[in-house]
Amino acid sequence: MSVPHFPTSDTASARLVANRVLVTLLGAGLLAAWLLPFATMSPNRLASGQTVGLSEALSDWQVIALLALSAALAVAALRRPLPRELAHGVILLASLGLLLVTLYSLGDFAQRTLVEKSPSARVSQGSAFWVMVFCCALAAIDAFQRASSGWLLRLGYMLIAGGSVAMLFASGHFDDLSIMREYANIRDNFSDQFITHLVFVGSALGPALLIGVPLGLLAHRRVRLQGTLFSVLNFFQTIPSIALFALLVAPLSALGNAFPLLGEWGVKGIGAAPAIIALVMYALLPVVRNTYAGLKGVPPATVEAALGMGMTARQVLWRVEIPLALPVILSGLRIVTVQAIGLTVVAALIGAGGLGAFIFQGLGQYAIDLVLLGAIPTIVLAVIADFTLQMLVVLSKPAGTRR
Amino acid sequence: MIELQGLTKRYGETRVVDDISLTVEQGEFCVLIGPSGCGKSTTLKMINRLISHSEGKVLVGGEDITTLPPERLRRRIGYAIQSIGLFPHWRVADNIATVPKLLKWPSSRIAARVEELLALFQLDDEGLHDKYPHQLSGGQAQRVGVARALAADPDVLLMDEPFGAVDPLTRDTLQAELARVHRQTGKTIVFVTHDMDEALRLASRVALLNAGQLVQYDRPAELLVAPANDFVRDFIGRADLGLKLLSRRRVEEYCRPAQRTRNNAIASAPITWQVDANDRPMALLGGRLGEPETARTVVNPEWTATPEMSMKEALSRMVWFRVTALPVLDGEGRLLGEVTMSGVMGHRS
Repeated sequence: MSVPHFPTSDTASARLVANRVLVTLLGAGLLAAWLLPFATMSPNRLASGQTVGLSEALSDWQVIALLALSAALAVAALRRPLPRELAHGVILLASLGLLLVTLYSLGDFAQRTLVEKSPSARVSQGSAFWVMVFCCALAAIDAFQRASSGWLLRLGYMLIAGGSVAMLFASGHFDDLSIMREYANIRDNFSDQFITHLVFVGSALGPALLIGVPLGLLAHRRVRLQGTLFSVLNFFQTIPSIALFALLVAPLSALGNAFPLLGEWGVKGIGAAPAIIALVMYALLPVVRNTYAGLKGVPPATVEAALGMGMTARQVLWRVEIPLALPVILSGLRIVTVQAIGLTVVAALIGAGGLGAFIFQGLGQYAIDLVLLGAIPTIVLAVIADFTLQMLVVLSKPAGTRR
Repeated sequence: MIELQGLTKRYGETRVVDDISLTVEQGEFCVLIGPSGCGKSTTLKMINRLISHSEGKVLVGGEDITTLPPERLRRRIGYAIQSIGLFPHWRVADNIATVPKLLKWPSSRIAARVEELLALFQLDDEGLHDKYPHQLSGGQAQRVGVARALAADPDVLLMDEPFGAVDPLTRDTLQAELARVHRQTGKTIVFVTHDMDEALRLASRVALLNAGQLVQYDRPAELLVAPANDFVRDFIGRADLGLKLLSRRRVEEYCRPAQRTRNNAIASAPITWQVDANDRPMALLGGRLGEPETARTVVNPEWTATPEMSMKEALSRMVWFRVTALPVLDGEGRLLGEVTMSGVMGHRS
């Protein structure tokens, strides 16, 4: 597999540098490491603290490791001496190494500093830390794009990267960081809200698929229904999420009051019921649209051949149409899953709970760590869901065409 | 075997197929042909009820097709279309096994049948069994399509422009192969095309349709010699009728014994083939227009003929290479006989 070669302007730098994206990321990362604070120290949870630069925060070997890995990345960005394939490998390994060293150094700094401070003192990550982590992630993603690597390699890399970060957390290496102390305070509540978040996403996706796939099929089979169906679904999609949550409060509380039995089952103006209904409504359009597009993409000749061979309409649907439309349907599911994970955050505003609860609580108290405890897991969830479904899309394609 | 009685298809007021009656006998190769929109494809699809007819009757094997559920009917009738009709998510073997699986054959019988068909279409030695359709060449995909149609050993095979999307060279090979399979299996075939040469080459009977009506239903030679009206004459193309006749003839019908020699000596006959110890022709002595009878021309594989080749092709090679005779070779390249320019004229249709 070769890297697509785009004609570039024939300047000296173009002849020298093969990967400009990497050079930019490396530059941004180093600049941030030099100019921006790597960590901040504060006397307690809410006070703003003093900043600590990278050189102060890191021990000698950590600085050397960072510089060595950066140098490896710089070499990999050049046209010579490394062959492209090898360069991509170096980039993937070096950016993972950089990420791990950055994370480790932060935890290490917190441990070393807090030994001699008061128990209420806090160490938090600074802006340079975020820029560096961000640059590492982008460099790895970009390398995968350039290498046009197979799905198995991507999966392995994600597992190794995710696994090593998870091991750092599990070993208690970060326990002295401010955000992890915040976590320790709310540990039980956190796992409750995390599960609530997942349950919401799951209970939105189930009905969305159960309703959306048949609707997509209907749109495919009954051309006349298409216009109405898609304009209704489009209309749902244009309502801002907060407005939709709010709109559902009144009718649902009326319903819950009128039928106490429904109220006991959880049909109330606030809480889970309006949240899940709204999530389903948002999820419908992508599911229906992708199901319809997937079925429409099945060549008519294939369907005709299937009928001509003597398949019943049901056999044609299950053996030919659905399998061939599956990659497109799953792409719809991917959009919807990531979208639902994000929207569930907003659902916290109508008392539904979930990770959004921490974000809004933190915003109210001006406790940034609490906000991050809501935001970071949401992002991680979305990334994992996106990646997993991307894998499923690849695997659902007919064998031999996978990449 | 197949009987159409007053078959009609109406869409609103328009009669796409208008009162067609014809009988296809057992083992016949019937080609439906006509200009675009003449209703040939519609007629074909009414035989396996992919399109339902408005009036008239279709009998397959003496049974009215409306007495069976459509799926049962279709599983008894082979159906082949252009290669895009293969199921892209199934391997070659699974594609071929489609109808046997629908009929719930035991898996050992299915596997044996798939191997048999791969061998029949000379697909067995290429490791194609486990490939997916998009990994096949156009010609291979087309063969798989025909093999799939034959899988459950139906008596009747319907083919809807199956070779429409392949290049001319491949089409030529596929036609020869289909003709061979037809001879070997004795299936009744109904074949739709808009290519007159294809029709003349393959058909034992041609049904020429125009504007939904059957214009002439006859043997190909009759169609050429006794066209029913001007439309038929125009459709066949008046200009190269003679060549079209030749495209129906095979070299073996014109092949006659060849004069051989082992050395350069000119024999008594005007055309003599110099052969090697294995009876393979090396050179033609004489037989080139405008050159002395002693002229020696080295035999080139481009201007040889095989018994199965059409006479049109043989004549074309003679004209192109400016020789008055072609050696006819067997599978090992040995000289079977010759076809000559004057021999082309000597045969009556």
